Amino acid sequence: MTNETTAAAKKDSPQPEGGKKFSRLKEVCKKSYVGWLFTLPMTLGLLIFTFYPMIQSLVYAFAEYDGVEHFELIGLGNFIRMFTVDRREVFKTLGNTFLYSIISVPLTLVLSYMLALLVNKKIAGVGVFRVLYYLPVVIPSVVSGLLWKGIYDPTYGLGNSILNAFGLPSSQFFEAEESALASYIFMNVFGVGGSMILWLSALKNVPPELYEAATIDGANGAVKLFCVTIPLSTSMIFYNLITGIIGSLQTFNTYVIAANEGRGPGDSLYFFAVKIYNTAFSGMRFEYGYASALAWVLFIIVGVLTIFIFRTSKWVYYGEES
Amino acid sequence: MENVSAVLAQSKRKKLRNKIITHSLWYVLYAALAVVLLFPVAFMVTKSLMTGTEAASLPVKFWPDNPTLENYRRIFTEGNYMRYTANTLIIVVFNMIAIPLSASVVAYGFAKTKFAGKNVLFVAMLSTIMLPSMVVQIPQFAMFSSFGWINTYFPMTIPNLFGGGAMNVFLLRQFMRGIPNELDNAAKIDGANAFQRYLIITLPLCVPILIYVMITVFNTYWSDFFGPLMYLKTEAKYTLAIGIFRDSIQNSSVQNVPVRMAAGVFMTLFPAVLFFIFQKQLIEGVTVGSIKG
Repeated sequence: MTNETTAAAKKDSPQPEGGKKFSRLKEVCKKSYVGWLFTLPMTLGLLIFTFYPMIQSLVYAFAEYDGVEHFELIGLGNFIRMFTVDRREVFKTLGNTFLYSIISVPLTLVLSYMLALLVNKKIAGVGVFRVLYYLPVVIPSVVSGLLWKGIYDPTYGLGNSILNAFGLPSSQFFEAEESALASYIFMNVFGVGGSMILWLSALKNVPPELYEAATIDGANGAVKLFCVTIPLSTSMIFYNLITGIIGSLQTFNTYVIAANEGRGPGDSLYFFAVKIYNTAFSGMRFEYGYASALAWVLFIIVGVLTIFIFRTSKWVYYGEES
Repeated sequence: MENVSAVLAQSKRKKLRNKIITHSLWYVLYAALAVVLLFPVAFMVTKSLMTGTEAASLPVKFWPDNPTLENYRRIFTEGNYMRYTANTLIIVVFNMIAIPLSASVVAYGFAKTKFAGKNVLFVAMLSTIMLPSMVVQIPQFAMFSSFGWINTYFPMTIPNLFGGGAMNVFLLRQFMRGIPNELDNAAKIDGANAFQRYLIITLPLCVPILIYVMITVFNTYWSDFFGPLMYLKTEAKYTLAIGIFRDSIQNSSVQNVPVRMAAGVFMTLFPAVLFFIFQKQLIEGVTVGSIKG
């Protein structure tokens, strides 16, 4: 607002006297300094801990840098490396990450939505169950990883006992290439309570008149679900989709459960974020340059996906404009 | 007449019976779901009550033959878990004070003052939510190394003094926008300056959302794994999350699982209790954060 007025003022007087320009500036400062002071911590924080490191990391991405002394600009070398020498691992980790994201995000969305619909009833004591369903979400992720490692232990874990009890064959879970990722996805299903809470608030926001009107028009439960409830929850679906995708593409928790520095058997649990971490901070020498290039690739993927989802979000209903 | 009332009573009874039947069906379904979803928690608890030998014996048991609290005694008296807890609390308590303070100051600036460049700064701040942390993590590590901050708690605390995170500022700003400006203006007429208005008028009204922010801060730093993994190098400095992880690498045999599960129960207890106490604020806070502004 203030910016616009000053800009307009500048246009109006193409050759302002120095004094007039200065007094304008002074006026802006006088009006703004309180707000500037309040937001100063954030401005500094963004500059020191986000934007400056971002620029640095962009420079690293075009360099070879071990974090100590060897620093050499190598142009596109790091990006070429991804598609040549390191191709197998880059594509394996990207593939794992995408596969996980594509399966896990919709799965969690649908299951948590169903769960929310189930407990969105006016039955005495249903609140207790909501709390119980949310409880697994409060387990710290490290603990949850270790505890599932225990359940999935092929010999001493309960996982195989349960499978066998249902007449299913035993599994190696995290310890075999073909079952590791599926086991990880299944393990994450237990966090559905987190999104359930979000859905419940979205469901609460659906005006009851709409249901009444639908009932009068003779709609049954399924019609109400697909023609009233779901369309009115689209803004929440959108929010969950965005945060789910951004979050899942950066999954790092596999580091706790997967043997061999977060790789898992045959690299089956090796995720892209873990690869970045390993490239930068483990192994014989630190490779900040290559790791930064990988991190920027992740950033670009996340950015492009987010923009794509926003562009195609005509289906989102944000309530009546007031 | 009598006949009619009898019929009515009968239909009422029938309705009630139907209601009882459908409700009990719902309860059965709810309970079944609860059993499934809480199974991992139950596994952790029962495992923590086993002896090492029992955990390593076959066939696999769910419930121990002789439940024992020995593992809990061990994490409280032997080993390093209590030191890890103290270390974790240093970081957690610092951040529980620093983040709400810092974030609320910035949020007040966005919600209640006008200044040049406000929208630019706000958008810049929000866009960092989308930024994968890996992009800044590497140069930050280099920066903090040059400060001599490796194996200290500074990397996990000091940056929080600068704004306290985009999401927290956003939440607080949303909440503050809901507070009528009349209060602020009245105080202004009474001669209160902006800082006084923030501290005396606005902040006390933000208690519900501040509680939410504090609890999320607690949960985030109580279970933070990545920060300690990067920066904490000696056992004396470990937090619970990194301590329990290193323990799982060093003592990986099955006999050691019960002690670790006891530590896991201990570590889960704090966020669980907080959740039970502050359910209402937590659920409301989540809602404020997700419904667009």
